[in-house]
Amino acid sequence: MNRRRGIFHRRPATVPGLVLVLVLFVRASGADSAGGAEPTGSPDGVVLSWKETAAQIDGLFAAAWQRHGVVPAEPASDEEFIRRVYLDLAGRIPSVSEVRAFLASDDPDRRERVVATLLENPAWVRHMTIVWRNALIPQAVMQADLRPLVPGFEAWLWERLAAKTPYDRLVREILTTDVQAVSPFVVRDAVRPDAFFAAGRLKPENLAAATTRAFLGVRLDCAQCHDHPFDRWKQDQFWKLAAFYSELPASSPGAVSMQEAGGSPGTIRIPDTDQVVSAVFLTGEVPRDTRFLREQLADWITSPNNPWFARMAVNRLWAQFFGRGFVDPIDDFSDANPAVHPEVLDLLAEQFVAHDFDLTFVIRSITASQVYQRSGVQTHASQSDTSMFARAAVRGLTPEQFFDSLAEAVGFYQPYRQDNPFVIDMTSARGRFLELFRSDGESVLEHETTILQALAMMNGDFTGEATSLKDSRTLRAVTEFPLMSDSERLETLFLAALARRPSPSERDRFLRFLDTHPDGQAAALSDIFWVLLNSSEFLLNH
Amino acid sequence: MITRRQMAAWSGLSLLGASASGWFPHLACAAQQSNKAYRHCILLWMSGGPSQLETFDPKPRHENGGPTQAIPTAVAGIHISEHLPQIAQWMTHLAVIRSMQTKEGDHARATGFVRTGYLPQGPIRYPSIGSLLAQQLHDPQCDLPAYVSVNPFLGISPAAFGPGFLGPAWSPLIVSAQTAQAGPAASEDDDSADGVAFEVRNLQRHRDVSRWQAEQRLELLAAMEHEFAMQRPDTPVAGHRQAYERAVRMMTSEAVRAFRLDDEPDALRDAYGRNPFGQGCLLARRLIEHGVSFVEVNLSDDRGNGGAAGWDTHTNNFRTVGGLCSVLDPAWASLLQDLNDRGLLADTLVIWMGEFGRTPRINDNVGRDHWPGGWSVVLGGAGIRGGQVYGATSDDGTTITEDPVAVPDLIATICRALQLEPTDANISNVGRPVPLADHGARAIDRLLT
Repeated sequence: MNRRRGIFHRRPATVPGLVLVLVLFVRASGADSAGGAEPTGSPDGVVLSWKETAAQIDGLFAAAWQRHGVVPAEPASDEEFIRRVYLDLAGRIPSVSEVRAFLASDDPDRRERVVATLLENPAWVRHMTIVWRNALIPQAVMQADLRPLVPGFEAWLWERLAAKTPYDRLVREILTTDVQAVSPFVVRDAVRPDAFFAAGRLKPENLAAATTRAFLGVRLDCAQCHDHPFDRWKQDQFWKLAAFYSELPASSPGAVSMQEAGGSPGTIRIPDTDQVVSAVFLTGEVPRDTRFLREQLADWITSPNNPWFARMAVNRLWAQFFGRGFVDPIDDFSDANPAVHPEVLDLLAEQFVAHDFDLTFVIRSITASQVYQRSGVQTHASQSDTSMFARAAVRGLTPEQFFDSLAEAVGFYQPYRQDNPFVIDMTSARGRFLELFRSDGESVLEHETTILQALAMMNGDFTGEATSLKDSRTLRAVTEFPLMSDSERLETLFLAALARRPSPSERDRFLRFLDTHPDGQAAALSDIFWVLLNSSEFLLNH
Repeated sequence: MITRRQMAAWSGLSLLGASASGWFPHLACAAQQSNKAYRHCILLWMSGGPSQLETFDPKPRHENGGPTQAIPTAVAGIHISEHLPQIAQWMTHLAVIRSMQTKEGDHARATGFVRTGYLPQGPIRYPSIGSLLAQQLHDPQCDLPAYVSVNPFLGISPAAFGPGFLGPAWSPLIVSAQTAQAGPAASEDDDSADGVAFEVRNLQRHRDVSRWQAEQRLELLAAMEHEFAMQRPDTPVAGHRQAYERAVRMMTSEAVRAFRLDDEPDALRDAYGRNPFGQGCLLARRLIEHGVSFVEVNLSDDRGNGGAAGWDTHTNNFRTVGGLCSVLDPAWASLLQDLNDRGLLADTLVIWMGEFGRTPRINDNVGRDHWPGGWSVVLGGAGIRGGQVYGATSDDGTTITEDPVAVPDLIATICRALQLEPTDANISNVGRPVPLADHGARAIDRLLT
């Protein structure tokens, strides 16, 4: 399996378009027992459409709200909806013309049409690539020495997501990809998912922890050193799972792999003990064969009967649209941390399986629900409880969402590098903003603006140019277009930054400001644009 | 020209006037030297988990000790590793704990535990020690954030550097060193880091913006923020406001001079070491002088850089730790000397620690692995009775033979050294009071003056 296939090297040409789809192994026998949790498969096998699924979600929430005495927020206005759905699907705010077209539409199905259009838009693929990259190789974003892994992984994700690859196949390809010992310091421009392994430093224990966390939402990490303090996982269960990765090559040239050290296939020694354990799935079954262990692990993980796989994926997607999952943190499924609204989680997981792990099915169901289409404006104290999903929560943006929205608002276009669109050029405006706005928080609901971010937005060169009459495209278009009234100019700036028209009181206040500004109307528009770009309404999703 | 009152009236919310005007402090807020004596804390954070055997608990007579030799210190009978000769001369001011003990061998959990004093428990978001002490010790006159983190590595456990339930007012200002020449070509050249600087970027108004304009913008922004926050009582909105308020306060303060290391004599800068860690320690002293309550400086490699878990020496332990110590030793000793010369050491607690220690047994890669079972922490300065070792490990280093110290006990000791009461409590995000040090924590009296 793991023969060397040459060393990666920097390639000036575009990323190779072909990738070897690895052996798709025969699916494991369906006899997996659930090991305490229920299997995901729909009990009566009912396959619902995304509209029906959305309606069921709403029915279940209506009942839950009633049970808990929760008064839900008003439905979101079209202005709220269009900005939110663009940020969530396209990874950026809508352009002025996109907002205008949407607000002008009287099509009763305009919201679902926007979703359908966005799901065919390259911006969706781009955004989802970032979302899954953050989910699957989070260390590669945080740790500078792993950054070179990112481009090849993103390119691979991009191809798979653009092709609407079912989620189970996507995960299987990652888990069974050919893995080579290669320094992470070499820029990976090959279109391959093996960064997942390199990010785990090719260590079975790291990979066992990363695999269960990313794909099953099970945190085994602490069981590495001792039995889990408040869950059922035992230390030997952790290492029995790690044994599936015992066939990997050594982490670096010169180091010794498990195989070379004389370990028999599918076994691993628990460090600082004499105990050698063999590969066993978390549900207790043993693999049929000591060969093709990763293929068998992939079979078990992606099986429709796996109690966690579909639920974890659905939980992650839900959190993508609401800021938190049913299980929170999203990757901490455990007896001590039960899901809220488990009936909705199960419904979505069942339908996800029934629709052959189609990610867009889940996204269409969620975005079509009235729960997603609630306003962010609080009208009742019961809406403060974020686990009730009764109001659209205010969420932080990813650095990419933030910069791409800023670029959209101010009319900044930065060409991608021709040779490799996935290489982040750290000296570009985008690269610098991504670094500065890199969020270290664990939850978007607790998102924090830092002092350095505030200073950059208030005083930095990028904002300076974006709000300067000579450099800013948006501002120039607004100030120089001769046929606009003041009110229309103001409205255009609001649409560009906030995807909404000013409220009557804002209109009064800002028009008065325009009229009385000592340096004239253009300077006043520049000040107003600065205010909008520095507002939390601009910097957050809501 | 618009007044706040007009603005409030136009917005139709006349009650808004008072709170909107309080949104930003007046720009005339000048830096003032405080009269009250607030204690301060500097944490030298060794991300990755430093080897106790190559620092403060050497075992030269046992095979587990490896090649590391022990040297005498200024205190008779106390020996530390040969890698720290300058620190050895400061032993009269230092208290070494050799018996720290936890069960956490995972970087993230251990970092969270040591830096908050609490193990994760349900939904409570515990504040980092930096936020906690900043909130307790802060000088209201100080225009700088009370908690400054220099070259941190946030990849392991970001929440362990955050304010948790204390809220965004107590989040750190994160400062990263800029080196003039960062090319690999300069790596062997000792002078290459001459240009280490800690500039806080974008502190000046943009050149095209007048002061009047800046004030107008902030007033309009305050009104927008107020309306948005009224409708959405969410953490990110409050955090945005806090960040802008703190940023504006810094912009208008003289205290940012603290970041100008050029004001220091060359000889002193040389003594600290012309590298990001050495200069970071010098910056820490300057920040303390300007009223900052808590400064931490992270060390990750033998060139003094931060931003990584450099003490995680699973391979090549001896050479790596030796290199790290060659940066640590002069920087830390100069910091103590400098604080002492300026009369600041009596009010400033200096802590040296990481998230755990390293295995006494040397592994097959000439490395040491994670070891929470018996490791070292060093305290010095404010409130600390120096010149002593507390606790001990066995000859092979694998067991604690005297006085094991739990993390909450360490936190309680730190609190007492800073004249704080460990049982004082904050109200957490779930409405439960959370004491500074966990219930049952006992400060170690022997370490305190």
